[in-house]
Amino acid sequence: MGKKVQTYRSYILKQKIVPYLFLGPNLLIFSIFIILPALIGIYYSFTDMTLFTFSVSDAHFIGLDNYRALLQDQDFIAALWNTIKLVVVTVPIMFTTSLLVAVLLVQPLKAKGFFRAVYYWPVMISAVVVGIIWQWILAGNFGLFNTIVKSLGLDPIETLINPRFAWWSVVFAVVWSRTGYYMIVFVAALLSIPESLYEAAEMDGANKLQKFRHITYPSLRAARLMVFILVTMEIFKIYPLVVTLTGGGPFDSTQFTVQYIYEMAFKKYQVGLASSMSVVMLLIVTIFTALNFFLSKRGENK
Amino acid sequence: MKKMTVANYIIAGILVFIFLMPVIYIISSSFKPINELFSSTPTFFPIQWTLANYGAALSRGDFAQYIFNSFLVAISSTFIAVIINTMSGYALAKFRFKFDNVIMLVILSTIMLPLEVIMVPIFSVLKFFGLYNSLWALIIPPAATPTGIFLMRQYLLTIPDEIIQSARIDGASEGRIFFSIILPNAKPAIATLAIFSFMWRWNDYVWPLIAISSPRKYTLQLAIANFTGEFGTDYSSILAMSAISMIPMLIVFIIFQRQFVQGTVESGMKG
Repeated sequence: MGKKVQTYRSYILKQKIVPYLFLGPNLLIFSIFIILPALIGIYYSFTDMTLFTFSVSDAHFIGLDNYRALLQDQDFIAALWNTIKLVVVTVPIMFTTSLLVAVLLVQPLKAKGFFRAVYYWPVMISAVVVGIIWQWILAGNFGLFNTIVKSLGLDPIETLINPRFAWWSVVFAVVWSRTGYYMIVFVAALLSIPESLYEAAEMDGANKLQKFRHITYPSLRAARLMVFILVTMEIFKIYPLVVTLTGGGPFDSTQFTVQYIYEMAFKKYQVGLASSMSVVMLLIVTIFTALNFFLSKRGENK
Repeated sequence: MKKMTVANYIIAGILVFIFLMPVIYIISSSFKPINELFSSTPTFFPIQWTLANYGAALSRGDFAQYIFNSFLVAISSTFIAVIINTMSGYALAKFRFKFDNVIMLVILSTIMLPLEVIMVPIFSVLKFFGLYNSLWALIIPPAATPTGIFLMRQYLLTIPDEIIQSARIDGASEGRIFFSIILPNAKPAIATLAIFSFMWRWNDYVWPLIAISSPRKYTLQLAIANFTGEFGTDYSSILAMSAISMIPMLIVFIIFQRQFVQGTVESGMKG
């Protein structure tokens, strides 16, 4: 009897310790490589730390000076504003294209698997290579793009040397490479809408557009929110694609926040200032995410 | 109805063209001789096929080394990711303990803290632990992915508690239960996690950018990006490197297409 109680006790104790052992490696990595850097980053943002400050104790606490400095930094404000514009423009375009492609894929089609695979494939290509692909097609008077333009009897277009064109080519390249991903999210959501809803609507004589407006679109609320949040975060983080597509140019027209922060820290060595910029960026991403939640909640109550 | 279907095929076909054409063009360009690459009247396919660009790529820098580094990083990081994320997923799915919800919340909230935001202090942390300019920095830290844990947890919830309980009654140790019951039963989710992890690590640019400085330790992506800036318009070897960097992903994709679709649906997999 006593033995049994003891085994039971050790069993309960084990049940308390064992899960922490299983979680251990992951939590250790998270603490060291995510949570610790996040805290250090916040600390740096209040110091005059540079890349050449060998120990943290050599850095001086300078209060909010970095935050004042970044507000004065026209180039940072420009990069941040440029990023916000990119988010505001790209999110609805990505949303629309991926939803439309998904709607196409749930229509009766033969070889659906083939189409789905082809549309998904660019998702598997690294952002660095996506940038190279489009740079190779778009750049110069003798690229594929301008060859097509000329074959239509038109004059060659200024492509990546034109700030406007370069900016829109970033939008285009992102949408091209990521539509397949969000398409899959929408396909799954579309397939989970019960067929009976459509049948009932058909009996009431609803046409295709009405069915989309009143059944399909409202049923996609969860998927919509997910796509909005993921795309928003993705665009705020944009960098690798830009490195190979435009390098941030021409005239900084495609310079976005991450690139600016990276160069501030690793090319101008201003670690403290760069950290304060990261904090600001994180705040803005959080605001956008919260806004997505809020707007979707409000839509629900209507 | 018939008309509708024909229209669907036409749109589907146009989309195939849009999504596939750029990839085919860059691959076909990688087989063009230099004079065709910079011709003022480029053709879609090479007039004369050549492997010269691949030769040029191989003789540039340590190209074979970059391929090796990329494989080493992607495979070992994936291996670690599978083990530790399955362990965490198991703990969160099958144990009730004091801080389980808090830990789950902390793990999920790290999704909101992208690497790009903390890259500056990460650099300091890597230096402090002596991981700077070491491939270990590309293998260990990225292996702990919140989405991986979430995926494994969701899947392991479906394994009945009875199997675990009866193994405990038979006197199996917790470690044994994990390796001989949980791991084999989680195969489908592990497959999904493994191929996503491989893709993330293979395609990654930001981690190598922060962590690696000496060219011999470049991964393929870092080499391609750095050479693009460095050699400006010299595209001959860049095109070949890009084409080669897509091959492993193409193979993985053809074999595991189902898992990619499934994984995207189940967890909104994001590196």
